Amino acid sequence: MTGSYQPDGTATLEVRDVTVRFAGLTALDAVSLTVEPGSVHAVIGPNGAGKSTCFNVLSGVYTAAAGSVRFGGAELTRLSTHRIAALGVARTFQNIALPPRLSVRDNLLLGRHRLTRAGFLSAGLHLPAARREAARHLARVEEIAAFVGIAGRLSAPVGLLPYGVQKRVELARALCMEPRLLLLDEPVAGMNGGERAEMAELIVAIKESLGISILLVEHDMGIVMRLADAVTVLDFGRRIAGGPPEEVQRDPAVIRAYLGAATDLEEHA
Amino acid sequence: MYKLLTWLGGIAVALFVPFYLEGFWLQAGLFTMSAAIGAIGINLLTGATGQLSLGHAFFLAVGAYAYVYFAAEPEGHLAGLNLPTPLAAVLAVIVAGIAGGLFSPIAGRLKGAYLGIATLALIFLGQHLLFNAEPLTGGYNGRAVPPMELFGLVFADTPELVILNVPFGVLERLWFLGLAVLLVAAWFAKGVLRGRPGRAMNTIRDHEIAAGVMGVPVGRYRAGVFVLSSMYAGAAGVMLALVFQRTVPEYFGMLLSLDYLAMIVIGGLGSVAGAVVGAVFVSFLPQLLTRYSDALPLVAEPGSGGVSPAEAARILYGAAVVAVVLFLPGGLLGLATRIRLAVTRRVQLPAELTPSPDSRS
Ligand SMILES: Nc1ncnc2c1ncn2[C@@H]1O[C@H](COP(=O)(O)OP(=O)(O)O)[C@@H](O)[C@H]1O
Ligand SMILES: [Mg+2]
Repeated sequence: MTGSYQPDGTATLEVRDVTVRFAGLTALDAVSLTVEPGSVHAVIGPNGAGKSTCFNVLSGVYTAAAGSVRFGGAELTRLSTHRIAALGVARTFQNIALPPRLSVRDNLLLGRHRLTRAGFLSAGLHLPAARREAARHLARVEEIAAFVGIAGRLSAPVGLLPYGVQKRVELARALCMEPRLLLLDEPVAGMNGGERAEMAELIVAIKESLGISILLVEHDMGIVMRLADAVTVLDFGRRIAGGPPEEVQRDPAVIRAYLGAATDLEEHA
Repeated sequence: MYKLLTWLGGIAVALFVPFYLEGFWLQAGLFTMSAAIGAIGINLLTGATGQLSLGHAFFLAVGAYAYVYFAAEPEGHLAGLNLPTPLAAVLAVIVAGIAGGLFSPIAGRLKGAYLGIATLALIFLGQHLLFNAEPLTGGYNGRAVPPMELFGLVFADTPELVILNVPFGVLERLWFLGLAVLLVAAWFAKGVLRGRPGRAMNTIRDHEIAAGVMGVPVGRYRAGVFVLSSMYAGAAGVMLALVFQRTVPEYFGMLLSLDYLAMIVIGGLGSVAGAVVGAVFVSFLPQLLTRYSDALPLVAEPGSGGVSPAEAARILYGAAVVAVVLFLPGGLLGLATRIRLAVTRRVQLPAELTPSPDSRS
C-alpha cells in the first residue's frame, strides 16, 4: 500500500482527485498531487486558483466533495482538524491566525497541545505533574524559538510584534507540534527583501535539520525555484502542470496561466 | 511581585473586616463574594473562551435549590434529603455541573452569540421549574435555607459565639467561609487560565480554526468550559442561599444573568481579577445606593415611587458598561494596569533624563 510510514517518521502525502465546491463555484476540480517524504513541494498559481482551499482540505478545515487524501496510511478527508493535527500535520495561515494578546511563549506552548496532557483538573489544582509537564515542554519551546530567531520575544504579546516577526511566530508554533508534514501558506507574503531571504534560509534549515515533508504555497518564484523539489501548478481549481521546478517554469500552459491572469508573477515578487 | 502584595494585602484586610464592620456591610460583602465566584465562572466561559451565556442565573438557581434540597429535612409537602450540609454543598455544585453537562451538546456546537441565544431558553425553563416544581423549590415562596454546619460550627446566629469581644453571628461566620471559597475558586481558575486549558480556550476565542488545526478539540473544550462555568455558578448559588437564608425564585431571572455579563465587561474580560473587580462594582453599587438613598438626589426610598436604588444602580452600571465598551477595552482592570505602567514609567524617567557620558558625543 502506498503512503506507508517511512523509517524517519515522515510519510508520503497523496492527494487524489480532490474536488471542493462553494455554492456554484468549483474551487478545486479533481486535483491530485504527491508529496514525497522529506521533500519540499510547492503549489503555485494565480490568486483564487485554489491553493489555500487545498491546504484547508489537507488540514480538515474544509470537507472535500470528492477525492481522497492519504497520509501515512490515514485517510484525512473525513477527519476533523484536531485529529489531523494528531497525525503530525501542522500548518501556517496566509493571514496570520495568532491570539494577539497571548505572549509568544503561550502561543508556542499551544503548539505543544497535542503532545501534552494537563486538563482542567490538573491545571486548576496546580498539580506538580502539570507544572513538570509545562517546564519540560517550555524547554523545547525555547529551543524552537531560538531556531526560528524569536528567542528574545518570548514574553511579548504577539499582537504588538511587527508583521514579519508574527509570521515567524506562526511558523514556530507549527514547528512546536513536532510535525511530520508542514503546510506553509505564503510564508513570505508581505515581507521585505531581507526578511524574505531570512525566511527562505529558515525553511531550508527546517528541511535539512528535521527532514520533514513541506508543502509550500508561494508566489515568489525565486524562492520556489530555490526551495522546491517539485512543483504543482493550479489555475481555476485545476492542476495544469507539475514536475521539477525547472520544467514547470518552461511549461507553456503555466506561462499562459500567469500571463492571462489579472495578477502576474511580478506583482507578488 | 506587585500582584502578590496586592493579593496578600487584600486578604489581610478582608480577614479583619468582620471585627470592625456592621452587619449591613458584611452582608453586602458576602453578596459580593458570591457574585465574584459566579463572575469568575462566566469569565472562563465568555471572557476567556468567547462563548456568550445568558443562562448563568439558571445554574445559580440549580446550585442554590439543590443545596436546599440535599440539606433540608423533608417537611410537609417539601422534599429534602437531610444530608450533612458540607456534602449537600458539594453535591449542589456537582449537580450544577451535571446540568451544564446536559446542555453541553448544545454548548459544544454553538459558538459565541448563538450560544447566548440558546441559553436564553434556560432562563425560561428555570423560572418555570422554580415556580412550578413546588415539592423541590417551594414555588412562589421559595424555601428556607438550612444553615451550613462545618466541623461542629453552625453558620447561624445561634448558638452564640463571641470572638475578641465581637459577637459572631451568621454573617461574621459566613464571612470566613465565603472568603475561603472565593480564594479557592480564584486559585483554581487562575491555574486553568495560565495552563494548557487556558491557552486552548483563548485560542478558541480568537481563532477557532487555528485552535482546531493546532490539535485542540474545539467542541469538547467548549462543552468542558461550559460545565466548569456552571459549577462556579452552582457554588455562587450555594453561597448566595447561605447568606440570604431563603431562596427567592424571581431573583434567578434574566436580570441576574445580565448582571453577570455586566460584571465581566466592566471588570475586565478573561481574567480572574477582572471578574472580582466587576463583581465588587456591580453587586456593591445597588447596596451602596440603597444605604444612602436618602442622601442622594434623584434616588428615592425603595417602594416610595420614583427611581428606586436598584433601578438607579442598574442605570449607573448600564452606563458603565457602555463607557467601558467605548473607552476602556480592558475594563477597570485594564485601566488599573495602564495607570500602573504609566506610574512606573514616570518613576524610571529621571534615570533616562541623565545621559551617560558616552552617549553625549
Ligand atoms: N469559504 C469559502 N467560501 C466561498 N468561496 C471560497 C471560500 N474559500 C475560498 N473560496 C473561493 O475559492 C476560490 C479559491 O480560493 P483560494 O483557495 O483562497 O485561492 P488561492 O489561495 O489560490 O488564492 C476563490 O474563488 C475563493 O473566492
Ligand atoms: Mg491563498
